[in-house]
Amino acid sequence: MMNNLNFVYPEIFISISIMFLLILGVFKKNSSNLIYNLSIITLIGTLVLTFNYPINTDNILFNESYKIDYLSTFMKILVFIGGIFTLIVSFKYLKIFKILQIEYSILILTSILGMMVMISSNDLIVFYIGLELQSLSLYVLASFNRDQIKSSEAGLKYFVLSALSSGLLLYGCSLIYGFSGTTNFDLISDSFDKVEYGLTFGLVFILVGLAFKISAVPFHMWAPDVYEGSPTSVTLFFAIVPKLAALTVFIRFLYVPFINMIEQWQMIIIFLSIASMVFGAIAAIGQTNLKRLVAYSSIGHMGYALAGLSTGTNQGIQSSIIYISIYLVMNLGLFSCLFMLKRNDKYYENIEDLSGLSKNHPLLSLSFLIVLFSLAGIPPLAGFFAKFYIFKIVIEQSMYFLAIVGLLATVISAFYYLRIIKIIYFDKEKEKYDLDYNIGLKISLVLSTLLVAFYFIAPSKLLEIISNIVII
Amino acid sequence: MIAHSIFFYTFSIIAIISAIMVTASKNTVHSVFFLILDFISISCLFIMIGAEFLGMIMLIVYVGAVAVLFLFVVMMLNVAQQKNQWFLSSQSSKHIPIGLIISVIIFFELIIVVGGWKYKPDLMTSSNLIINESISNTHSIGNILYTEYIHVFQLSGMILLVAMIGAIILTFRERAGLKRQSYFKQISRERSDSINLVEVENNKGVNIDD
Repeated sequence: MMNNLNFVYPEIFISISIMFLLILGVFKKNSSNLIYNLSIITLIGTLVLTFNYPINTDNILFNESYKIDYLSTFMKILVFIGGIFTLIVSFKYLKIFKILQIEYSILILTSILGMMVMISSNDLIVFYIGLELQSLSLYVLASFNRDQIKSSEAGLKYFVLSALSSGLLLYGCSLIYGFSGTTNFDLISDSFDKVEYGLTFGLVFILVGLAFKISAVPFHMWAPDVYEGSPTSVTLFFAIVPKLAALTVFIRFLYVPFINMIEQWQMIIIFLSIASMVFGAIAAIGQTNLKRLVAYSSIGHMGYALAGLSTGTNQGIQSSIIYISIYLVMNLGLFSCLFMLKRNDKYYENIEDLSGLSKNHPLLSLSFLIVLFSLAGIPPLAGFFAKFYIFKIVIEQSMYFLAIVGLLATVISAFYYLRIIKIIYFDKEKEKYDLDYNIGLKISLVLSTLLVAFYFIAPSKLLEIISNIVII
Repeated sequence: MIAHSIFFYTFSIIAIISAIMVTASKNTVHSVFFLILDFISISCLFIMIGAEFLGMIMLIVYVGAVAVLFLFVVMMLNVAQQKNQWFLSSQSSKHIPIGLIISVIIFFELIIVVGGWKYKPDLMTSSNLIINESISNTHSIGNILYTEYIHVFQLSGMILLVAMIGAIILTFRERAGLKRQSYFKQISRERSDSINLVEVENNKGVNIDD
């Protein structure tokens, strides 16, 4: 038992910090700023603790239900980076909207704890507990600005639909348990040698639940409304962090217990992928709200990540992980730009508010340009490489139809990204926006833009790190 | 054995019918009552498979606390007047065919699944489940809950904590001008702070100034 505990220091550290911060918040009056900063420090501390392990060994803990391996460590680090930057960039936004309460950052921490459990889970029960811990925190975060009717609506909508998908997922878990007699991922694969309908059925239900969590079409209905209604800081968190955890579970779930049933799930994943790519590209065209647009674009991007997963090879997994890492950086840049559109303590989030931005704010427009070009997948920016790796492996596996649809969707989606750039650079200018950015926002914008712009200098670095992720 | 089957099917049919009635009944209060009936029949099923502790917990927690709480909420919010129009309104009626088709498909798939399992008994035999008859139900749950599943147990605690935080954030509003009792102030109050002895002269009266 004690031996097990040696490997979960990050989880223990973050749990104890959550409780400590809660108690601090109760006894110290007006401590929301302090707790906000302490939460960032907690996340940095957890990040450091995660680096503590011998990274190349697999540790299977707690009766083989918890796995610390290269994949989990890498994804956890991405989650922490996402969490830290979400907190750093949104401080001012929360202040202005008067929703900077002590619980905000604590809920971010608890959802990150849930994601850590999801990422490391090697057992259906542990996975479900992590998922619930994560989603329960996210429901509250979505409706955090409860005085605004849209935010309450977002929280309620997310709660109801997510509870439904959790129900389907649990039903799938119970079917799998019933037919294999175990909840452990490694043991499930040992329990059958031929295709069983019960297991297929359970697998489909779990895939539905997971597809809901990463908002893949046709389980995407909640995403635009929730993204639009939630406070922008929470939208940023929604857009990048929970998807990392859900994608890891996808990988673990499909490639460990069900790798023998690849013919069964490959079709489902290809369908989810094609539907998400096409729908994300087409539905985003008519949007006027930037947050809704981000929701549709994230649906599309999840389609590309799933395309990598559908190949059933290690290279496919690696390309998906590269895709989602670069997606994280690009979205961080996009949202940092959004947080800068502030005039007289009011934030602007419509596309037309961007018109003529280049005349007044050339640097901000340049970052917008780089990030949007990268999201559209134009070389030599990072987004191009992300898509390139995916299509390379898809074509290597001779899944030409998927590749062709993906390329067409890329071309369609380039239209709405380019339209924003046209509005920024060629439309009539509007009033100036405020220039009082705080330092965290500047750092995150500059960092993410530089990473996106100069990824092409050393693309092999990321490839080298990722190539250690070997599942099958 | 046949009595066992009769009881099993009775309770399961009651459970399924009452679960359907929860969504289908027009009156919200009736829905809650059907929910209670559903919980009770499920707890009977638990007791039948020998998990009496889980069955009793089910009764205490779900029937005793959750369902009664639901009932209170329904009565407080006065939603009993609004009839549940789920099946009847013209708006929802166009979704019903699609919903029915999907549920029929799922139902038939389930039949295939159960049938496949029924006629292939080698898939999972009950010998996979090791039941120790010598220790009690509670004891055996405790045996694995605090050893094999200790991390899950602790994480469930975190989930409850998050649920509590969430409920408080979403409902608690700090009102201005709220008068709270302060025990410390009350106890440390001295007689001399509040009582003022005044010599009253005859026929003069006292000036009271607040």
